[in-house]
Amino acid sequence: MRLGRRALFGLAVGLVCFLFAFPVLWLILTSLRPQSGVYYVHRGTELTLVNFAAVLQNERIVQAFVNSALISTLATVFSLMVTVTSGYMLSRFRGLLSRTWFGTIYVFRCVPYISWVLPLYFVTQAWGVYDSYTGLLLPHIAVHICFFSWLMKGFFDGIDGSMEQAALLDGCTRWGAFVRVALPAAMPAIAALAVLCWLFTWNEFLFALILTGQKTPVITVVMAQFVHEMGIEWHLMSATAVLALGPAFLLTLFGQKYVIRGLRI
Amino acid sequence: MAVLSPPPPAVAAVSPYKGARRRRFGEQERFMALLIAPAALLMLLFQVVPILIGANASFRDWALYDPKRTWVGLKHYVEVLGDPLFLTLVLPNTFLFMAVSVGGALCLGLALALLLNRPFRGQKVVQTVLLMPLMVAPVIAAIMLRWMFNDQFGIVNVVLEGLGFEGQPWLAQRWTAFAVIVFTDVWLWTPWFTLLLLAGLQSLPREPFEAASIDGAGRWATFRFVTLPLLRSIIVVCAVIRAIDAFRTFDIVWTLTGGGPGRSTELFSLYAYVFAFLNLDFGKGSAAAMIGAGVILIVGVLLFRVLDRLVEVSR
Amino acid sequence: MRKRLGWVLACTGMVLLLAGTSGAQAPKEIRVGYQPNPIQDASLAMMEKWGAKHGVKITKVPNSYGVYVEKMTASLTSNSDQYDVIWHNDDWGQLWKKLLEPMDDIPGLKFADKWGMDPIIFNNDDGKTTVVPLGHTFGAFFYRTDLLKESEVPKTHAELVTVSKKLQEAKKVKFGYVGAMAMNHTWFSWFWTMWTNECDVLLPVYNRDNATLAKNGWKSGMTEPCMKETAEYWWDAINTHKISPKGMPAYDRNEANAVFMAGDAAFTVADSVYWATFNDAAKSKVAGKVGISYFPLGPRRKDHFSWNDIWGWAVPKSISAERKKLAKQMLSDMMSDEEGQLELWKRTGAPPPNVQVWDRIAKDDEFMRQLKKYNMDIKRKAHSAYYFEKWPAVHKAFNDSATKALTGDRKDIPKALEEGAAAVHNAAK
Repeated sequence: MRLGRRALFGLAVGLVCFLFAFPVLWLILTSLRPQSGVYYVHRGTELTLVNFAAVLQNERIVQAFVNSALISTLATVFSLMVTVTSGYMLSRFRGLLSRTWFGTIYVFRCVPYISWVLPLYFVTQAWGVYDSYTGLLLPHIAVHICFFSWLMKGFFDGIDGSMEQAALLDGCTRWGAFVRVALPAAMPAIAALAVLCWLFTWNEFLFALILTGQKTPVITVVMAQFVHEMGIEWHLMSATAVLALGPAFLLTLFGQKYVIRGLRI
Repeated sequence: MAVLSPPPPAVAAVSPYKGARRRRFGEQERFMALLIAPAALLMLLFQVVPILIGANASFRDWALYDPKRTWVGLKHYVEVLGDPLFLTLVLPNTFLFMAVSVGGALCLGLALALLLNRPFRGQKVVQTVLLMPLMVAPVIAAIMLRWMFNDQFGIVNVVLEGLGFEGQPWLAQRWTAFAVIVFTDVWLWTPWFTLLLLAGLQSLPREPFEAASIDGAGRWATFRFVTLPLLRSIIVVCAVIRAIDAFRTFDIVWTLTGGGPGRSTELFSLYAYVFAFLNLDFGKGSAAAMIGAGVILIVGVLLFRVLDRLVEVSR
Repeated sequence: MRKRLGWVLACTGMVLLLAGTSGAQAPKEIRVGYQPNPIQDASLAMMEKWGAKHGVKITKVPNSYGVYVEKMTASLTSNSDQYDVIWHNDDWGQLWKKLLEPMDDIPGLKFADKWGMDPIIFNNDDGKTTVVPLGHTFGAFFYRTDLLKESEVPKTHAELVTVSKKLQEAKKVKFGYVGAMAMNHTWFSWFWTMWTNECDVLLPVYNRDNATLAKNGWKSGMTEPCMKETAEYWWDAINTHKISPKGMPAYDRNEANAVFMAGDAAFTVADSVYWATFNDAAKSKVAGKVGISYFPLGPRRKDHFSWNDIWGWAVPKSISAERKKLAKQMLSDMMSDEEGQLELWKRTGAPPPNVQVWDRIAKDDEFMRQLKKYNMDIKRKAHSAYYFEKWPAVHKAFNDSATKALTGDRKDIPKALEEGAAAVHNAAK
């Protein structure tokens, strides 16, 4: 009886895994087909690396990969630096300032991009950071503030404050208590956010499209250039997308294990 | 049935600063301000200022090709709210989408997080596979799924017809198109829930679970009375954030259906986009976006309250 | 004294020399804002050749599709000095007329095709044109040469149905006709059948003069009997006669072309430049088996039909006078650059802007002869869009209503068309 249930359970998990993986595998298969086979992928069995060769010959693609990796990493590091402290503040302090801050980040998070992405374009141009690393990094970080702060607040809420209190009584500074006691305990959350932030920035399209021009090619925007007035060059776009999967895959593989901790607090 | 000991009250936020408050008021406030200073500055420069510019535009006659910028007050707002399609088609569509896709992703994500919480053979592989949708850019995923559901060359219909069923014109009918949109969204966002809820589960204290197993509680009871309350704040935050973002979803819907067929899958953000960027009427598009902001603000708060109470009731 | 004077003269001479050379060495540059696309890429190649010959640096600034119009409009209205030459299209011909430099002083324009340069599209309020063409784009009616002889190609809408059914019954092909129908791809199904049936989005039919349209109250043609015929034609094509796939109302041109190139359809309408792709064995399963012909006509039209519009280059008004002069000189020289235009034709299959080159190409190239016969030399052509700011909104209103009519019940078509007419009218006025 138990074996039957376990088999059924395994089957369900297998099905879910299949559904999750299938579109990605189909994408990889599409990128390996010649241009005549990128739509009717199931017809014919020809596989070729021609699309990848064509994509890699484009010098902007390589530069775009480097830029995207750099921006994703910097955005992750800076976002976490800025938002983990913010979340800690929201969790440990409940006064007026805390409530105001929370209300502010919540309200501004609710405004859809449509109304302010074009003003963002004007603003970055006015401040001279359009089409630069800064110009792309800072808005990304700003957008993460609400969500990361709120989430970190939730995690810090679940961490007992008595350990920090003990540290304070022992003579630790507030900042020291934060860094040495609270942070390590929140490691799974920070790791999860780091993975999500990196992937999100890597795959982010709208801001990259609006805020970059010639000087800062980014992988998602370069991919978008295969879409033009007269159609989509799907064979090249899918090859680029598959190449972009590589670093994302590696990062997820690498970052996952920090989410799973053998020890519990 | 054994009586379950209630989870330890240490879960509630015990701030280490509560007692010390009155003595060191100035220093504490400075610390608080320091903690949020960099975030506040960034928000001001790169979010608040553009949003205020957009809000300003919503009260003006601002077409992108002829920015007269004359003040028109609430004219755009009245037009949008008076548009019957906005109230009877766009908003209901958006709420339905929000409810189904967030609900679906949350439940599935929670189930998968629980699955991955305990080590088993092949866990690493399963975990990596389950996170695969996160690795793909949403627009790419949307294009891929659009062509997978194409009635002629899409693999879905090919398989269906191979099994003897009739292939559907998925994107040419309202509800099948809606289903494809929801499927895409759940596919993209379940791993997000999974990862965060898994982190949450991994951070939970061990004692309540040990106590529950000593008390002889079954798996479902442990879940309902121990796991869920402990995980409450994370679940609610994730659900509300995701609901806000689901309300604003644009790129996957635009790619999959463009709001079609015949506007029947039009969501709120497409409505605003068409005005702002297709018709180049930035003022009106901005007004529509502001109305949406107001709606989602209220809905978010309500959702937070409701979910909070819902998860608490299961105690 | 003499020594010092000599020294002063030498210094002055050196200063003047340096000033003179540095002045002469000031690099000339032309910044081009465009959208990556084979036709524009070929035109840019011509620019780079010109730049190499005249010592001018050509800086290419690609912009992504989807935000080209918005970003470019924002750039033009904020007078930002970003581009010297920008890609221009009939779709926004009137949208940017106040922001662009008049081009009537360009001698090379005398080689341009008059139809494409129609004042209605590109003239500003002073009656001067604002564009220099770079190539022609239009749709063509494609058919499978292995399934039909040229004499068997359907000449009317009704024949399209009967021929398709015959081919389908003989199991020679899965569908008779496939063509894009979704928003922004409307030309490849709705528009061409509408236009070949003496029908149009706004009344009077085929009229693009904004003054006339306004005088007529921006009345929509959707409630005309001709439009009902067109809607019912497509409804029957999909549901009754089943000569088109059921998912077609949602198809964009990628999907429609994919079905045709896989060999699952006998007829399609697509951009004429796709002739090269359809016949490329690396890209298409029907390579070598594709030809073009006249558009099949509806019951209300007796003479042949085609549409024809240009892509071009424009110069923003806000840049400096010397940059304008340089840009205009380049654009004028490009109009006379016959070799470059031949190259553009060979690379893309798009007719180049200089009409004299057309005859030269047609002498050796069969496809150009066909294009001239079936499209470019047609007497009564239409412009494929309207030229007022609200056109995108009108287009979307039309497409949404037409799709609604097509995806509902057949008996609800008149009602859907009526609602559509109201929507179109409201969007236009």
